[in-house]
Amino acid sequence: MNTELKMITVDKLRKEFKKTVKEPGLKGSIKSLFRPKTEKVIAVQDISFEVGQGEILGFIGPNGAGKSTVIKMLTGILTPTAGSCTINGKNPTQNRRSYVKEIGVVFGQRTQLWWDLPLRETYSVLKEIYEVPEDSYKKRMDFLTEVLELDRFITSPVRTLSLGQRMRADIAASLLHSPKVLFLDEPTIGLDVVVKENIRRAIEHINRQEQTTVILTTHDLADIEQLSKRIVMIDKGVKVFDGTIASLKQQYGQIREMSFEADSPKAAAVLNYAEHFGLSEDNFSVEAEGKSVKVRFNSAAVPVSEMLSYTLGKISVSDISVKDADIEEIIRRLYEQGVEE
Amino acid sequence: MKTIRRMFRIHRIFLVQELKRMMEYKGDFVVGIIGFLLIQLSNLLFLWIIFSQIPDLEGWSISEIIFIYGLSLIPKGIDHFFFDNLWSIGYFIVRKGDFDKYLTRPVNTLFHVLVEKIQIDALGELIMGIVLVCSSVAGLQVEWDAFRIIGMILIIPFITLIFTGIKTITAAIAFWTKRSGNVIYMFYMFNDFAKYPATIYSRWVQNIITYIIPFALTSYFPALFILKGENPLFNLGMPVLASLVLMTAGILVWNKGLKAYESAGS
Repeated sequence: MNTELKMITVDKLRKEFKKTVKEPGLKGSIKSLFRPKTEKVIAVQDISFEVGQGEILGFIGPNGAGKSTVIKMLTGILTPTAGSCTINGKNPTQNRRSYVKEIGVVFGQRTQLWWDLPLRETYSVLKEIYEVPEDSYKKRMDFLTEVLELDRFITSPVRTLSLGQRMRADIAASLLHSPKVLFLDEPTIGLDVVVKENIRRAIEHINRQEQTTVILTTHDLADIEQLSKRIVMIDKGVKVFDGTIASLKQQYGQIREMSFEADSPKAAAVLNYAEHFGLSEDNFSVEAEGKSVKVRFNSAAVPVSEMLSYTLGKISVSDISVKDADIEEIIRRLYEQGVEE
Repeated sequence: MKTIRRMFRIHRIFLVQELKRMMEYKGDFVVGIIGFLLIQLSNLLFLWIIFSQIPDLEGWSISEIIFIYGLSLIPKGIDHFFFDNLWSIGYFIVRKGDFDKYLTRPVNTLFHVLVEKIQIDALGELIMGIVLVCSSVAGLQVEWDAFRIIGMILIIPFITLIFTGIKTITAAIAFWTKRSGNVIYMFYMFNDFAKYPATIYSRWVQNIITYIIPFALTSYFPALFILKGENPLFNLGMPVLASLVLMTAGILVWNKGLKAYESAGS
């Protein structure tokens, strides 16, 4: 990985949409037909970040945060309202046609495959569209067929493919012209664990072998943990975190989870952490199900040792354990609460 | 030159792809052909009944009317056959965000949309147009000199572009309004006026179909030259000019629309 070389530079990128505001029902619709009320929605608000050549960047955020809008600006689909993005020295909206030859795009929710025809036909058309020479096409197909295991279904009509097969086929389609940058918008959505694992391995393989820069949006944080060292997180159109996963854990990861089995459900009710330690809801939550109890707390507010001694002093328990919150837990908290600046 | 060769190549590849797609569902394909032939037969029968009731109209003989009617179907059929995909732009491709695909490919988006699909049904209009024109020839008092024949053949691509241009402009409106299928429909339907000699309409309808939504240029005016040898400069020049203006306007509106395209949430 060579992060010295910047592949993508995003500078104060902004996108505003005009939205018509309608009152509910048919009456509202008719009213808005004659006197439309519009309001400005800022989908992406002055976002800046950089991605180095060969890097895999995890791009995350809750639903509606503006992830797809950013990706669509970077791929030249949407024209930014303000700001700029430069990918390999090119601006996506100027000279779009030469730009898109350098990128590959997969939108997990859509497909660019020819639905009614055998999968192989899609590749032979894309070969022409991207002007891939015959001999490099053959080599490329061999490589992609192997890495993404296409051989079992390459002669089947696309409509008969399973979701996992279709996703692999779509990724292959986006890589046919050996792009320098690959945009993957939720490439593992709706897939089972095994297929997800296969796809991650393929992405990793291609990234390592060809130094392809990858921007990956996903809701499955296992994708991120396995593939990328760095994440950019946005919320409500604003960048809220930019750094390595390790630093995210350090910054927000003082959450610990203590779980134990009480002797009886009644015994657990004796415990009152909030009052004892004076904890607010931000720092503390408890989940009890019968005898088993899970306490999540901020170890900066209450040291782990005090938590343990309080619990053990009050009731007798079996199977007590304390563990670090995983990234999933950190992100969940960030999504729920937003980030305090 | 290289670009044009590449465009032809891509067009051919898409055409072959479309044919393969149709063959993929053989039963549907065969039934489609049978139904298509039946419809064309009944259309011809219907027209024959109508025309056999009209001796002449506003100084036009029945053969001349059939010629104008037939000629109007030829550009309409060609446009319908090759460039039917514009309707999908107006009705759903933009609205559903499926236009994203075209923007991520290194091909001119309008060109890609135009050549991506073909519409076999259009052969009906095309065949009927040719049948009507050919069958009218016997009853026409026209001296078929080279000038006329070449003029008629050369004008066809241009009058076809009048259809395509009007559809392109109206389809591109969808980039702002998300849906413009009904706008395309409204303008497109003016082509019905093109089937008959323009002189049968009132003055203001004539002006509209000559200068604003110029479907009269797709058949009536070229026919004035072909049948009566009148004013080739206007009768052939205007359709050429109009087709170039409309297509240029279409490309400009389209390109402007690309910047307004908002995709759809995914």
